[in-house]
Amino acid sequence: MKQYFKLTIAFSLLFVLPTLFGFNNNGSEKKIQFSYKSSGLTERQAAAHLLGRFTFGAKPGEVDEVLKIGLEKWFLKQLEGSLPDENVNERLKSFDALKLTNKEVLEIYPRAVQVLKMAENDGFIQKDKADVADKKEYRKLLEPYYKQKGFKPQQELFRQFASQKILRAVYSNNQLQELLTDFWFNHFNVSLSKNQCAEFVPAYERDVIRPNVTGKFEDLLLATTKSPAMLMYLDNFSSAGTNSSTDLATNDRFKNRITKKMGERLGDSAASELIQKLGKAKKGQGLNENYAREVMELHTLGVDGGYAQQDVTNAAKILTGWTLYPNGEYGQGNNIKKLIESVGEENLAGRGFVHEGDFLFANNRHDNSEKVVLGKTFPAGGGYDEGLQLLKMLAHHPSTARFICKKIASRFVKDNPSDKLVIAMTNIFLHTDGDIKKVLLSMVTSPEFWSKEALRAKTKSPFELAISSVRSMNADVQMPYALYQAIEKMGQKLYYYQAPTGFPDNGQYWINTGSLLNRMNFGLALANNKINGIKINLLELNNNHEPESAEDALVKYSKLIMPERNMDETIKRLKPLLSDPSLVNKIDQAASATPVSKQGEQNTIDGAMMDDASMDEMQSKFKKGRRRQGNQPEMLGTNSMLSQVVGIIIGSPEFQRR
Amino acid sequence: MVTRRSFIKSGGLALFGIGIGGVPPFMTRAAGAEKIILPYKKKKILVCIFQRGAMDGLMAVTPFTDKYLEAARPDLFLSAAKNAKGASLIDLDGRFGLHPSMKAFEPFFTEKRLAIVHGIGSPNSTRSHFDAQDYMESGTPFSKGTSSGWLNRAAGLLGHDASPFQAVSLTSSLPRSFYGEHPALAISNLSDFSLQTKGNPSAKNMAAKSFEDLYDLTTSDLLKQTGKESFDAIKMLEKINPKGYKPSNNVSYPLSPLGKSLKQIAQLIKSDVGLEVAFAESTGWDTHFNQGSVNGQFARNVEDLSNSMVAFWNDLGALQDDVTVMTMTEFGRTVKQNGTRGTDHGRGSCNFILGNDIMGGMVHGRVDQLAIENLEDGRDLAVTTDFRAVFSEVADRHLNINNDKLLFPDWSGKMIGVMK
Repeated sequence: MKQYFKLTIAFSLLFVLPTLFGFNNNGSEKKIQFSYKSSGLTERQAAAHLLGRFTFGAKPGEVDEVLKIGLEKWFLKQLEGSLPDENVNERLKSFDALKLTNKEVLEIYPRAVQVLKMAENDGFIQKDKADVADKKEYRKLLEPYYKQKGFKPQQELFRQFASQKILRAVYSNNQLQELLTDFWFNHFNVSLSKNQCAEFVPAYERDVIRPNVTGKFEDLLLATTKSPAMLMYLDNFSSAGTNSSTDLATNDRFKNRITKKMGERLGDSAASELIQKLGKAKKGQGLNENYAREVMELHTLGVDGGYAQQDVTNAAKILTGWTLYPNGEYGQGNNIKKLIESVGEENLAGRGFVHEGDFLFANNRHDNSEKVVLGKTFPAGGGYDEGLQLLKMLAHHPSTARFICKKIASRFVKDNPSDKLVIAMTNIFLHTDGDIKKVLLSMVTSPEFWSKEALRAKTKSPFELAISSVRSMNADVQMPYALYQAIEKMGQKLYYYQAPTGFPDNGQYWINTGSLLNRMNFGLALANNKINGIKINLLELNNNHEPESAEDALVKYSKLIMPERNMDETIKRLKPLLSDPSLVNKIDQAASATPVSKQGEQNTIDGAMMDDASMDEMQSKFKKGRRRQGNQPEMLGTNSMLSQVVGIIIGSPEFQRR
Repeated sequence: MVTRRSFIKSGGLALFGIGIGGVPPFMTRAAGAEKIILPYKKKKILVCIFQRGAMDGLMAVTPFTDKYLEAARPDLFLSAAKNAKGASLIDLDGRFGLHPSMKAFEPFFTEKRLAIVHGIGSPNSTRSHFDAQDYMESGTPFSKGTSSGWLNRAAGLLGHDASPFQAVSLTSSLPRSFYGEHPALAISNLSDFSLQTKGNPSAKNMAAKSFEDLYDLTTSDLLKQTGKESFDAIKMLEKINPKGYKPSNNVSYPLSPLGKSLKQIAQLIKSDVGLEVAFAESTGWDTHFNQGSVNGQFARNVEDLSNSMVAFWNDLGALQDDVTVMTMTEFGRTVKQNGTRGTDHGRGSCNFILGNDIMGGMVHGRVDQLAIENLEDGRDLAVTTDFRAVFSEVADRHLNINNDKLLFPDWSGKMIGVMK
């Protein structure tokens, strides 16, 4: 209750705040001003902080670019998110699966179990003949069937999907859009680990999350509620009312109509048989509260947002009938498909059904009773509209405003933002109808954003660490999936977080003994060009000047990789180690004794495990790798010291912060 | 007992000797420079398995004589009556039946090494996974602000010098139970746990020294402390050989994540690295949809759980006396099946405790007849045993931690006699 009190006080400030944050009446931004000077930051330091928070890490020279554009203007451009992105588009060109609609995905990338069923039905293989557990055997058996039908393995879809996330994060000029897409996806988490929703997840990010990341919160919420991915992930697709019109045994109107219609054609006994059959089908239906609970706890009000079990049950009833429009030949839609066929697509709207793209409001599955949620009464027979009203109410609730603003501030300012900042943002949220852009503006113009306590206060997630490393070195990401796997190894399997909470956003979650070691190893592997398909040219970073010594390398490259940080202590501490000539020589000797590309292969393939054929394969890869290396102006042996130093910078505690 | 222990210890030493192989130069330096106490004196070990997603306790251990349950679950209920298909429950005591996919547990129950507590759960009636797990793992069901986890506090209360491997979670990230001031380790794969600079020992040496210095220097307490723990752990683990591990007694573990975790816990136990509190996870218990009965989702889950635990137990061989395994789950599931042949979030569930020092061979706790008037909120199996009663008793009797005030603040209940 305390928070409501605070909110009431804060409400009184509402009329003052908008002018402070620089909005004029038609909603466009006037000139904004960042208050970094009052906390003693130079413009360069401020630019580095800005890049640390609103990009996936500064690229070499990017601080200067931001200064040239002007900090405030740079941020507004990022908020707008419409900078040309040829590099990303070019790199994504070959990813054909990313443009598919959900319907096309179901047609081209069916789930393995479905393919098996179809192959059995088509008589392609004998029933129960295929051992699904033996994946290799299974693939061999069904490969011709895939070819014949034009199917592709679902894993290929997910691989492209994972790769695009990496490429966009590394190369997009609209970095804030990518950060926000990541943030909102995680807020409205769905997971590839749940089979029934996995196939809809790529389109979910593209069509549901991405277009709404800087819009109104209400639109984002509604879009997620109606998306196939969310409907499947939190089971609402199957939730039906207990007094809905599908309950044919008790719905006289429906019964009479069928009796009349069917009776004329088939005779009364056939009609009553049909009614009984349909009544039995109803047995598989019922209320499922899973989505209703999570939409309140995780998406809107927050767990302390002031709702009770009864609110959850009633919200679930309001959302009964919100489901998927049947898609393709298989899946969950068969019953509904039959129903639509019997009613007739053209008559759907007239019967209270709503069909929008992949979404269907199935009026016959809707609970028609009166419900009360959070004290608001939803009269009986509210149909689709009461769901819209419910979501609108949730989206604009003061608890939601506070919960969302706190989460945004935790993401972009620090793990535990002050009440003062959260309340200021909350007021903007409530005043602007949940305008995400304006909330972000109020945050970045607050003194707290620029305070000493906020500087470098965030710990990078494994994803952020990997992307910032690659960006800081201008790496060429030829095989984005390799980076995806490296991130997984550091403890973050993107798109597979199982719980609806999404990944936690605090340092304590990400930093533990095991993950820290993996981060150090990542740094070493990346800088030594040992992650396949990620190419780094360290000399080019320094205008092809070779550092004079290990110490010189440390000084130069820590400045390049971590602009505007004070590295004096680090350099002082490592100096004795780096100036030991015998050590430096030993490292170079050992490195030149082993060709670089071979080391790389060893990292991914365990030689002892391979048979002769794969040994040959490795040899040829090895040769190719050598040729590729040969094109680069790198002097392999002598630069292993440099790689080593850069690896240590990437794995250092300072680089784990942003 | 004493003779057996010293035998075990020398057995452990021998194994450690084989694993050591060539000691890398970096290790020689580290071992020379710092005090590494190896091997640790063998201590009691508690292994906890968290079943995330909320296990349906009524399907795992079914009160099969209950007509109300049978009526509430037309698609899910199994009976103990023998039938031709072998699809019946394993009758434990004439009232409770074990799911047939947990047949691996049956001999342990008969030998009184496996105990079941039914109706266990949290006094806080939240039905949110996240909150309920949070409360169970922090050990304070009414206080969100508790920053530490109960297993972290337990490790802190052991009252002796800790090895970096005193508290290990076989997960890629630290579970809530392990949050806290006491050093705790999360490792998903033991064989990856070293600095990797293949074929270049000097580079490895340099990287190790540099990282150690830098993490010691950082102003972030979190990074500094975790860095120190990492380096201590690396040094110890360099001495065992995770890749070459062969389980004893021809045991074969399930290839599931849980099976892999328990296998590595067994290896740590046998390597004398000072493990005392271990943690593993099992997922997929949130069966809202098509839960299955004899076969299906739930059956596969309990099969994996029981087979993994039994493999682990048999692998331990002579070390079994030192170890207790306890499962936990955030809540149970609705008595009535939902409209999608699954069950929704409920209250009471059950848990399993495996060990030689427990009161096994019985179903502890209280499960009333599942008539609607006996259900919590008219829908769920009531929580009749506070999880803290069981956790504290296991910690007390097995690990000799008897400070309940610190382990479970705000709790002053009674133990239920699940341990000898």
